[in-house]
Amino acid sequence: MTAAKQRLPSPFPSKGSSEGVDLVARYRAGDADAFETLYRQHAARIYTLACRMAGSPEDGEDLLQEIFLQAHRKLDSFKGDASIGTWLYRLALNHCLDYVRSRQARMSKVTDTLDADTSMEPTARRETPIARIDLDRAIERLPEGCREAFVLHDVEGFDHKEVGALLGIAEGTSKSQVFKARMKLRGFLRGRK
Amino acid sequence: MESEAAAERSEMHPNEDALNAYADGTASAAEAADVERHVASCASCRQTVDDLREILRAASDLDPREPPVRAWSRIERAIAIERGAPLEGARAGDLAYAAAPSGASHASASRITTSRAAIVAWLAAAAAIVLAAVVGLRYAPVQRQDSLSAARGDGTAQAVEAELRQAEAHYENAIKGLEQIASAEQNTLDPRTAATLQKNLAVIDQAISESRAAVRSQPASEPAQQSLIENFKTKIGLLQDTVALINEMRKGNEAGAAQIVSGLKQKGN
Repeated sequence: MTAAKQRLPSPFPSKGSSEGVDLVARYRAGDADAFETLYRQHAARIYTLACRMAGSPEDGEDLLQEIFLQAHRKLDSFKGDASIGTWLYRLALNHCLDYVRSRQARMSKVTDTLDADTSMEPTARRETPIARIDLDRAIERLPEGCREAFVLHDVEGFDHKEVGALLGIAEGTSKSQVFKARMKLRGFLRGRK
Repeated sequence: MESEAAAERSEMHPNEDALNAYADGTASAAEAADVERHVASCASCRQTVDDLREILRAASDLDPREPPVRAWSRIERAIAIERGAPLEGARAGDLAYAAAPSGASHASASRITTSRAAIVAWLAAAAAIVLAAVVGLRYAPVQRQDSLSAARGDGTAQAVEAELRQAEAHYENAIKGLEQIASAEQNTLDPRTAATLQKNLAVIDQAISESRAAVRSQPASEPAQQSLIENFKTKIGLLQDTVALINEMRKGNEAGAAQIVSGLKQKGN
């Protein structure tokens, strides 16, 4: 997960490492506020990942709650090998992936059969840069399968080999899902004009 | 001959995979050269590449989202349940207040702040009892769905109905508990907010009533079952918001309360 590791430091401040260790030490010493501080520092990053992976703010909020409950249970096992931010991110990512797999298993949706392919629709020329909020909303509209691959590759920075391993799909499938997602996003974003 | 072939290739539109690989720089040198030649003379493909590059740029530069204010309250309550201990604010000898919020009436002036914290803790702890069931319900419709499918396999419509009734009972219990907390503390809310809540609850109750009728007339209909469960979940979410709002107002966190009220109004629109 080299690519994601390279991108992790940006959302987590460099001083977060020693600060994180202090927070965990305070938590272990029984300081109940320490866990809330940890939440305040990292909740936005994890909530964002959860919303994008799940495709809805409602599911993202449920996942956020479950992730921090799990963190609370597992914090005693934090060894300090990585920063607390990285540790939390991995926990969150694994939890999101479990959620995605269980949802895919029960829904067995095939992305190709979902909505009509908008990528080839005649579109008006877009003259303004993509607003972040538009892209965030458009990501939520992506079909399952290609949404997770797109979020992991284009947003979170994993390479296709890593995305394949994380989602349990072939590297080539990751590529085609990401490409499909981009073309659909293009259609969505041009259609908004 | 080679230049003719290259010219011919450049006239054919590259497929989406080639355009994507070119846009994100993962195409081989030969593929990239082909696409480059083509886009130099094809406005449509050039526009596609420009759009893909812009999506890539925007995707790597997305802003983080702030979770709703109530999210921490929910986590705090769930942690308190796991610990089997009262929440913060009920510590340091405030257990009597936590157990009986009316104890605030005989609190000395110097303990007003403490007793207020104890009321918050009591509210949170009361909500936690209900939420203990609700937190576990997130995957419930799925498990229920599996059970329903299994029951269908046996061809026993009665089993399906029994399963659904059981699911309904879970949600109704959770809703009842939350309603009790919300109505007992509703005077904490200003009349307009209370009216908004009542309006939203009435809409959801109507939806529950309609989907329940649909399930009764078509017990085997999966969309009807799913709709009923979704409506239950919506009502639980609204009641959770209400309890979170009451807590924020008790804490004096006006910003947090305003954010929840704003969310409630949006849901009502």
